[in-house]
Amino acid sequence: MTMVLLAINWPHVLFVTILGFALVLVLLVVLIYVLKLFGLIMHPHVTVDKPQEVHPVVGTPHEEEHDNRITLTGDATAAIAMALHLYYNGIHDEEPTHVTIKKVERKYSPWNSKIYGMNNLHRN
Amino acid sequence: MWSDILEFFRGMGFMQMGADFIGAGWQQLAMLFISFFLLYLAIKKQYEPLLLLPIAFGMLLTNLPGANMFHSELWSAFLDPSSPAYHSYGAILKEGGLLDVLYIGVKAGVYPCLIFIGVGAMTDFGPLIANPKSLLLGAAAQIGIFITFLCANAMGFTEAQAGAIGIIGGADGPTSIFLTSKLAPELLGPIAIAAYSYMALVPVIQPPIMRLLTTKEERAIKMKQLRAVSKTEKIIFPIMVTTIVALILPDAAPLIGCLMLGNLMKECGVVDRLSKTAQNELMNIVVIFLGLSVGATATGASFLNLKTLMILGMGIVAFGMGSGGGVLLAKLMNVFSKEKINPLIGSAGVSAVPMAARVSQQVGQEENPSNFLLMHAMGPNVAGVIGSAVAAGILLTMLG
Repeated sequence: MTMVLLAINWPHVLFVTILGFALVLVLLVVLIYVLKLFGLIMHPHVTVDKPQEVHPVVGTPHEEEHDNRITLTGDATAAIAMALHLYYNGIHDEEPTHVTIKKVERKYSPWNSKIYGMNNLHRN
Repeated sequence: MWSDILEFFRGMGFMQMGADFIGAGWQQLAMLFISFFLLYLAIKKQYEPLLLLPIAFGMLLTNLPGANMFHSELWSAFLDPSSPAYHSYGAILKEGGLLDVLYIGVKAGVYPCLIFIGVGAMTDFGPLIANPKSLLLGAAAQIGIFITFLCANAMGFTEAQAGAIGIIGGADGPTSIFLTSKLAPELLGPIAIAAYSYMALVPVIQPPIMRLLTTKEERAIKMKQLRAVSKTEKIIFPIMVTTIVALILPDAAPLIGCLMLGNLMKECGVVDRLSKTAQNELMNIVVIFLGLSVGATATGASFLNLKTLMILGMGIVAFGMGSGGGVLLAKLMNVFSKEKINPLIGSAGVSAVPMAARVSQQVGQEENPSNFLLMHAMGPNVAGVIGSAVAAGILLTMLG
């Protein structure tokens, strides 16, 4: 075993190990920056000016507005979306209030004709 | 007439195996039983059956005495510079059997690349584009490859063989076969079987490592929803990655190029027929050829030795270290990053698409059933495919 270990060109093996892994990291880090840049070009972030900080005064309308603000988590948003989806899918179309039953006109057909029926015997 | 009957009996596989039972016969018999066991695993246990079944059947065919479907001696001559058949595919076509002819596709590095076209056509790089940091996890998971390379050297394998063994840690079958066929073709059978076996065992190997390296709180971390990725981004991505990677590392171009070609065909939307063919017909045909011919290399003499056991042992070390490397880097990123990431997605950095991402999802949901990590884990998972192809290119450049 010792002979085997001594026979190995350790400097080269270590060089390949360290440089190889470092190269994988460097190449993929380069790709990260390229992708980030790519994302910025394709999906520029819309920056919204932050509202100016207002010093809250007890009882003022500003404070009430602040308290009423609702923060929704992803789960809550999903639950609301699902509820709306089910609600809207369950609604029928708005129907007119007219009664739509019409008198059905039976048009002549030899299949239901009494004239040609088997029981329609000639009466002299 | 009696001589004809005698000749027929002498030609029977049973007789041939019995005649040289002490020499090659027992090895062939043992390999037949191993192939039966692998067929059992593929059919009954469904361990990567799409690949394990043809590999096991190739192993069965190659070890049938007298069938002459694969000739390892022809391939030894193919690699021997002093032989007249050195690098002569003509000699293979002239004297080889069916499996020799199919093996040309492995030897020339054609099958893994064709499979990568299919893999690309089935992969969605959207989660990676939406969260480019995933690439870092994909890179960290490749540490298993290089540590195993070091260990394999210490165990007496040559540098080229050690590189081929290390790539098992990438958990990427086609990449393992591609690199091994270039660096150490004599180890192709054991390495392919180790790579695909461990890929099939991802749900068994990874969860204990993930639990060991993370706390309950870390496993329960919920991640921010990924941004939507436009079609234009998805179309430009494969072109951009191919150009950058191939310009930096030309040896990785065959694998990365084919992966991205398949993906471009899927994303551009104008060649649906080609994309569907790559995902189905092409992929399936190549898988049959690749599986059969890789299985055929597992002859008794090349498989039944201590080296195979060592390769199987080091393969699992490589795989475990890769998974652990991804998890640990994710934890490190949490120290410096404002937006916390669930370290469980780090283990998906070994490629094994999409099995490794599914394991992250399952382990994450054990801690927090309302946590959905699948799409977050797909980022490192596809990054792992790129990472292992890059690692293969680097090893090929340095050791080839």
